[in-house]
Amino acid sequence: MIHPSQTSKNPTLRALLPGDAGAGSGGDGFRKADLAEIDASCRVPVLFFFLSGLAWLIAGSLLALVASIKLHSPGFLAAWEWLVFSNVRTAHLNTVIYGFASQVSVGVSVWLMCRLCRIPLPAPGLVTVANLFYNLGVTVGVGGILLGDSTAIEWLEMPRYATPILFSSYALIAVWTIVTFRLRAERHLYVSQWYLLAAVLWFPWLYGTAQVMLLLEPVRGVVQAAVNWWFAHNVLGLWFTPIGLASIYYFIPKVIGRPIHSYYLSVLGFWSLALFYNWNGMHHLVGGPLPAWMITISIVASVMMLIPVITVAINHHFTMLGHFGKMRHSPTLRFIVFGAVSYTLASLQGIASALRSVSEVTHFTHHTIAHAHLGMYAFFSMVMFGAMYYILPRITQREWPCNGLISLHFWGVALGIVLYVVPMSLMGFIQGTKLNDPTIRFLDVVQFTLPWLQLRTLAGLLMVAGHVAFVANVGWLLVRMFEPYRKPVVRILTGEAETLAAGK
Amino acid sequence: MPVISFILLGSVVLLPAAALWALRWAASTGQFRCPDKVALLPFDESEPVGVATDQILGNRR
Amino acid sequence: MTMSYGPLLFLGILLTLASSWVGLVLMPHRQLGSLGQHTDPDTAAIFPAARAGEAQQGAEIYRSLGCVYCHTQQVRPEDYGSDLERGWGRRRTVSRDYIHDRTVMLGTMRTGPDLTNIGERQSDAAWHYRHLYNPQTTSPGSIMPPHAFLFETRAIGPAGRSTNALVLEGAFAPPAGREVVPTRRAVQLVAYLRSLKSSGDLPEAPVKKEEAAR
Repeated sequence: MIHPSQTSKNPTLRALLPGDAGAGSGGDGFRKADLAEIDASCRVPVLFFFLSGLAWLIAGSLLALVASIKLHSPGFLAAWEWLVFSNVRTAHLNTVIYGFASQVSVGVSVWLMCRLCRIPLPAPGLVTVANLFYNLGVTVGVGGILLGDSTAIEWLEMPRYATPILFSSYALIAVWTIVTFRLRAERHLYVSQWYLLAAVLWFPWLYGTAQVMLLLEPVRGVVQAAVNWWFAHNVLGLWFTPIGLASIYYFIPKVIGRPIHSYYLSVLGFWSLALFYNWNGMHHLVGGPLPAWMITISIVASVMMLIPVITVAINHHFTMLGHFGKMRHSPTLRFIVFGAVSYTLASLQGIASALRSVSEVTHFTHHTIAHAHLGMYAFFSMVMFGAMYYILPRITQREWPCNGLISLHFWGVALGIVLYVVPMSLMGFIQGTKLNDPTIRFLDVVQFTLPWLQLRTLAGLLMVAGHVAFVANVGWLLVRMFEPYRKPVVRILTGEAETLAAGK
Repeated sequence: MPVISFILLGSVVLLPAAALWALRWAASTGQFRCPDKVALLPFDESEPVGVATDQILGNRR
Repeated sequence: MTMSYGPLLFLGILLTLASSWVGLVLMPHRQLGSLGQHTDPDTAAIFPAARAGEAQQGAEIYRSLGCVYCHTQQVRPEDYGSDLERGWGRRRTVSRDYIHDRTVMLGTMRTGPDLTNIGERQSDAAWHYRHLYNPQTTSPGSIMPPHAFLFETRAIGPAGRSTNALVLEGAFAPPAGREVVPTRRAVQLVAYLRSLKSSGDLPEAPVKKEEAAR
């Protein structure tokens, strides 16, 4: 046999699989589990990750609104120290990054890995425990930030009594992803699995390094800034981006019923991302007090990101070609395609801002904030919403209760984020131009930003409305879980609509 | 010379060497042969190619 | 039949991140992790000077209040941006300027102005107290949040107004018979702000002759 299944050597691991899924079939692997069996095995842990993620999303959205209002109306809620702008802003970032985005990522990643490995999730209880630990960590961390214990290190603000809890949870999830991978019944690997495996291995390394060198034994001087941005930029590039791309590579083909346009391109995309992205971080320090070689190398690596970005964009576009109409009928596809397009735009904007001449203008302005939201929200969060629309009905065995709420969610957040990113990118650019003109008083530049900041609050309100609609729909779905099972009115679970659409 | 210099020097030699070895090994064992049928992995008998899923909006009768 | 990519994938994942871990984490640590002070051969002045106790405690207040999210502490080079023209410094800042900082707070956002040399640009402690208490008193139109929670409003004692009471006028004045005095944290924070000066002559970042003469 050319490929002896690695799993056959692991009777101990194999024992973790429920029922006959652990039993070998025909020598070279396990029985491939049914999709429904896999979905059911993921139900509890994935629901835990999704639901707690959504609770943090609501908390994070409200914090974002307060922060946004405070920036144009500094007297708003000014009496309470724990609600001072920087606390609220930082608590917002940490709840949406670590509370919402990371947790939903883990939920999606666990489910996707099982589906592609074609096995039920081994020992799901362990993943649920990782989730409880994780939420404990986020609660302690965000609480610490609001009480004034923020480390003031961007993306690593949670105090050092919280981060080890999160680290152990991440480590457990990484180990469990590898165990699932080793037990796989499908020997061949799909590109999504590469991204997922990479993400779960990269993140603990990044987080561990940052914790040791910045919180436990802080390094001296500006080396802190280098470690900080190596970490913070790679959280985006090596944790969120791979999980987002893994989802896009799975859900677009799955929803439209057509394999990815070119598998070769996806291989090129993965390896070029792995090679170049992790060298990008120092472009956050252009013009700063660090040696030129560090910054230059990151600018070069940022420009090299054109390769994976264009590769992925071409691949996704040609896969979708002729199937864009399906977006009208599939919430998953709507959100995922919106996210995929935003990935290209966010990457191109990021590459441009890394250039010295552009960074000179945009670096210290709201342009950067707009860019962060284009990446984390318009790309990543939208992809995660899409993935949840696909996964939730399947793991709960219940249909989405209300199509109106789905539309409200999509249009609220889609319009909201466009209204956020486009004006703020433009405003940041003008703000930077004004800052670079020493004849313009600083306070005049501040005054210039005010109407734009008010517009941002409006955009934020739209997004919050979308989130509330989504959470209401999810809550309704959960209520249905406790009702006796009725024959679905239509579609996802019966396959009626699938035949309907395919026959078109 | 501080320990970190040894780590750095070692890494500069060892990392590319390991990478080259891995590439050579991977190529020689055929791991770069990458059939397009791998792209079919998201599909199976219950949800084959050509069948769209998740078409739930605007179809309600 | 092709092989599984498992081991290749695993190696690739580890080696790619290892490369930048060595290049962007260990390498800078090697190059800059043990930078020391510089002694001027002519004047025997030492740069950068270590911070005194109260100012050092103030740095922790600055960190805890998250000032870094709106204020940078880095002056960009001469031909890059307008930092020098705005009077934010007499020279660019370099790695050595930050060796005493427990947490290096370079910042990435200029919602407010750069503070690298705020101690030099505004040395008046009373101004800083008024500004922190309510920025509108000194900088009308500012969007900085008032930090009134760093102050105590109390009844004026029998001995009359305290010497450290803030001089506040018009709408900002406390009710009759009361006064606003800084808390310990406000005192530490202002000591820190007044200690912020990075304009010592360094070989890698000389202050230009005519600039120094000013």
